[in-house]
Amino acid sequence: MDAATLTYDTLRFGEFEDFPETAEPVWILGREFSALTEKDDILSDVASRLWFTYRKNFLPIGGTGPTSDTGWGCMLRCGQMILGEALVCRHLGRDWRWVKGRKQKEEYFNILNAFIDKKDSYYSIHQIAQMGVGEGKSIGQWYGPNTVAQVLKKLSVFDTWSRLAVHVAMDNTVVIEEITAVYALAGLRGAACAGAGLELNGCLEGACALGEEETALWKPLVLLIPLRLGLSDINEAYIETLKQCFMLPQSLGVIGGKPNSAHYFIGFVGEELIYLDPHTTQPAVEPCEDGQVPDDTYHCQHPPCRMHICELDPSIAVGFFCRTEDDFDDWCLRIRKLSCSKEGLPMFELVDSQPSHLINTDVLNLTPDFSDSDRLERFFDSEDEEFEILSL
Amino acid sequence: MPPLEKPQHTKPFKLRKSFATRKQEVAGIRSKFPTKIPVIIERYSREKYLPPLDKTKFLVPQELSMTQFVTVIRNRMSLMPSQAFYLLINNNGLASMSLTMAQVYKDHKDDDGFLYMTYASQEMFGNTRECVDAFKTSHVAD
Repeated sequence: MDAATLTYDTLRFGEFEDFPETAEPVWILGREFSALTEKDDILSDVASRLWFTYRKNFLPIGGTGPTSDTGWGCMLRCGQMILGEALVCRHLGRDWRWVKGRKQKEEYFNILNAFIDKKDSYYSIHQIAQMGVGEGKSIGQWYGPNTVAQVLKKLSVFDTWSRLAVHVAMDNTVVIEEITAVYALAGLRGAACAGAGLELNGCLEGACALGEEETALWKPLVLLIPLRLGLSDINEAYIETLKQCFMLPQSLGVIGGKPNSAHYFIGFVGEELIYLDPHTTQPAVEPCEDGQVPDDTYHCQHPPCRMHICELDPSIAVGFFCRTEDDFDDWCLRIRKLSCSKEGLPMFELVDSQPSHLINTDVLNLTPDFSDSDRLERFFDSEDEEFEILSL
Repeated sequence: MPPLEKPQHTKPFKLRKSFATRKQEVAGIRSKFPTKIPVIIERYSREKYLPPLDKTKFLVPQELSMTQFVTVIRNRMSLMPSQAFYLLINNNGLASMSLTMAQVYKDHKDDDGFLYMTYASQEMFGNTRECVDAFKTSHVAD
């Protein structure tokens, strides 16, 4: 509770601690900086990320629902931030920079428009809150990292402009085969959608013309891995591995938080995580008629927040972006190398395929072995609880 | 099969039984079923979303992989594939899914001979305080 109070008050009173003068490297989404000689670059990189916060006075969600997400939307906003970063990498590149007042490309405004607080934007708070109903979350309920990852995966199907393959790896395991199957399928579906949505975006005409080739193309992959790195506190054995995630060139950062407060973690310096905080309420923004958006409030123009890595709530989702198949192969190589190193415990496992016998559902519904069970009952007659016996 | 509406235990298994009793229990069952692993699987005390299991003690074939074991538990709880479910060994690290029960048992078994696992989903994030700031302030002052 104290931690949440601190963040809230810090933002309310507009006091931001300057970035530390340290010789330790600063890592932000796969890029290394020196805090001593590259402070301006660090701040410019942070300001270039899309910063989604609580908003008020938007049109009611679902027609009659809330007009503000203050108090409940923080994880939904973090989901927007990690996906926003994926769209920036997809359409503008990791090196793209935002400069206040400078004219930006059309793609940039297309990205912003995908997150504007309106019911028909691809990834608006309206869309995320309503799609969450399918994940058992009514509008206004709190989300976890996995909830928002699942919702983003569903919403991404309708974003025919970005044509992303969003994959959510469950059970702390990344199965390569599942990802390659996903992008093959997504390629087929993307081609079908492109045919239906020509008027939406000129670029699609070209994509549609590719026809059969299209299905063989790699779709830019957003890989989200929801994890639980401990019960009440993060297991310290994971800390080094977590830091390594921010050092990979494919890094999209981490969504997670402190208890009750969700943050979008974009990097680290020493033992501190660097994050963008959605916990400030800004008025909803109305886009101009020409598609431009008054965008000052979508960029964090103060030194980013920091917190000790041990304060991290164990429930997180780690994100990666692989524009090409080569990027994904490179990511696999790096993850395998990391899991071999003795530094830190792997947070997730990378496997080629799921064991084939799992496809047989009969094996999955293992039934207790009754002969064993009878013997046991006699054996543990006086016991208050018996073993449940699983047999293959 | 015993009825599902067995009373839920409030205390963890380890606190319900003495070390000697637990050790004796393992010795007894291992002599009867030498190829099966005695596993205690319990719900995280602060878990709000996953249902309780009707059983705590399991005897699991040693060649079963963690993936298979998790699938069995997930099916028991009728979870959707998109629902978060994590098994933490000894309340600590995530279970590696490609290992067999025998491998996990070798590395993580307790001194009493059981393998202890806790299951949990993920925490949800939000802040009631931001909605009812005034109320919370007076509440904290109490």
